[in-house]
Amino acid sequence: MMLRGYRSSDSCLLSGPWLDGELAGLPLADWPALADRCTVAPPSGPDEEWCIAPGAGFVRYTELDWVHRRARLETGLQPGHADAAGPLLQAAVAYGLRDLNLHKLHGWVTPATGVAATAAELAGFRREASVPDGIWLAGRAVERQIWAVIRPD
Amino acid sequence: MLDAAAAAQALSDAAGAARGFLGIDPVAQNCALIAAELTRTGAQVCRAGDALVGYAHRPSQPRQALVASTSARAEPVATLLSFLRIHHRSTSFLALVPAGSVTIAALEGCGFRPAGVLRDHRYQSGGYHDVLVYFAKAADTCRS
Repeated sequence: MMLRGYRSSDSCLLSGPWLDGELAGLPLADWPALADRCTVAPPSGPDEEWCIAPGAGFVRYTELDWVHRRARLETGLQPGHADAAGPLLQAAVAYGLRDLNLHKLHGWVTPATGVAATAAELAGFRREASVPDGIWLAGRAVERQIWAVIRPD
Repeated sequence: MLDAAAAAQALSDAAGAARGFLGIDPVAQNCALIAAELTRTGAQVCRAGDALVGYAHRPSQPRQALVASTSARAEPVATLLSFLRIHHRSTSFLALVPAGSVTIAALEGCGFRPAGVLRDHRYQSGGYHDVLVYFAKAADTCRS
């Protein structure tokens, strides 16, 4: 999958029915009809790096730390593009570890969404920690996991 | 409770003991950068005797607080947890601690349990080091 830089015309890709900050931000099927969609602020500073999969979704490298050479990765895919999650994460990992020269990428995975972590596993991510009550979802606090991939130096 | 500038200075003075404190690294960051990071994350730092304790609320789960301490003693952490439980209605706590940190004893003394290991999460002294994740429910923590 080809990724390119963010343009203002891509702003329509920044909101959707996914959980905030999710590593594999796949559209949730049972998103409440009256609930606001998750919206990510457009790029605003040097502490973030963005990539766009045209028409499908975005990749955001946030909490960029150039001392520890790591970033938290989050993605968001538009409805109808769920099958692009694997290639999107693989392209994001390749760009992050090779072009940005980061040592580690990590992100949040929420098992209660029912969205399998297959895409993250395909991209080389492994589960590192499990945080009970890590996010509020559907009226209750649910577990959130930290997954990460490390550059094989 | 210290303001951002005073907290940054106190963390800088603590130097090695404050490495990894709410994601701060006073050895690699200057006071201005630490103050900006504390402001950005909404973190608060308090002085408890010779120790510094701090917390930040997680935006995705406001009832869960990220906590940190510079001391191996449990009392300052217990006091912080009581404050968060009573005044902020926190229901659970999370701590990210560099492997080998003296703070681990304080956390375990307050009811924290290991929740995972973030591999190669910190760069220090020419190599990458792990960060340990600790978690506690408010109901399981000790009272000050």
